[in-house]
Amino acid sequence: MAARLLRRGLLRAPRPLPSSSPVTSQSSLLFSLSDHSREPSTSANSPPFSRPNLSCNSICCRRLSSLSEESHGPAAIDYRSTLQEDEYHRLANSTIHDLLEKLEEFGDSVEIDGFDVDYGNEVLTLKLGSLGTYVINKQTPNRQIWMSSPVSGPSRFDWDQNAQAWIYRRTKANLIQVLETELEKLCGQPISLS
Amino acid sequence: MLRHTMNRVLGPGLRSPAAPVLRMYHERVVDHYDNPRNVGAFDKNDPDVGTGLVGAPACGDVMKLQIKVDEKSGKIVDARFKTFGCGSAIASSSVATEWVKGKQMEEVLSIKNTEIAKHLSLPPVKLHCSMLAEDAIKAAVKDYEAKRSKLNASQDAAPVEKAADA
Repeated sequence: MAARLLRRGLLRAPRPLPSSSPVTSQSSLLFSLSDHSREPSTSANSPPFSRPNLSCNSICCRRLSSLSEESHGPAAIDYRSTLQEDEYHRLANSTIHDLLEKLEEFGDSVEIDGFDVDYGNEVLTLKLGSLGTYVINKQTPNRQIWMSSPVSGPSRFDWDQNAQAWIYRRTKANLIQVLETELEKLCGQPISLS
Repeated sequence: MLRHTMNRVLGPGLRSPAAPVLRMYHERVVDHYDNPRNVGAFDKNDPDVGTGLVGAPACGDVMKLQIKVDEKSGKIVDARFKTFGCGSAIASSSVATEWVKGKQMEEVLSIKNTEIAKHLSLPPVKLHCSMLAEDAIKAAVKDYEAKRSKLNASQDAAPVEKAADA
């Protein structure tokens, strides 16, 4: 009697016993669960877990960029695939630091009332007194450098691998060249920022 | 009103006249924030509606601007906006909806971000908001035109939503 009960208990247990159908369905469910454990969504420990976030984001990015291709202005690109974040930081930081140095030197040589160059929180602010203020900052999610100019207003520069420069897609303008041209016009003195 | 706003924005501790001049929102920006105009949405499937969706949440700015166009005259009869972003972004898109109402579609394409920025006295760092508002207007017009051409081509009113970066 006890043995029969025990056997019944064993049969009910989720074991791959092909003879008993309810047990099989239970076990197949368990098997499929165990298969899923290899997939990122249910496993917390395996390395692929980080992948779904990236793929979701790249899907979103791709969707956004494919939509924006139909919109006005030049086609947007999937930023994630073009410039890796650490590469972007390296390039953007080096550009902005370079600008900072050269602008400080420029300030020493030019006579502008209220000239001030300030760099804080990765934002470069160039005050030219009554001539206006430039703000140059990084826009990491877009892998862009944004500039606000008293002459040309706002512009957004992307890194162009071919040109090895920061280019504003709508006007094909080059960040360094725009600054050089505008500053020379504003301050009456040429400056080399490259 | 400005003083009242200043107190509200800056807090009671900075009421003293000896306090340094701080960068503040222009009263027009505050006005648009306190009394937003044209907030809301149209049915984007409506063939008379053009929807412009610009910006990206990661950048901190998303604007949706919708226009309702009179088919016969090509005039924008109504506009709505919804914006996620700073006060300047909200004010810029609010101003955009005010300015497009009653104008021809071709006319609103000439609204420049510099005009919006000047109207709101936006500081340099917020000029990007006004450009986004200009982009939103253009995207809405483009969407409407795309819808109409699709309608004419296939008698199908398919709604198209656009997102634009840069």
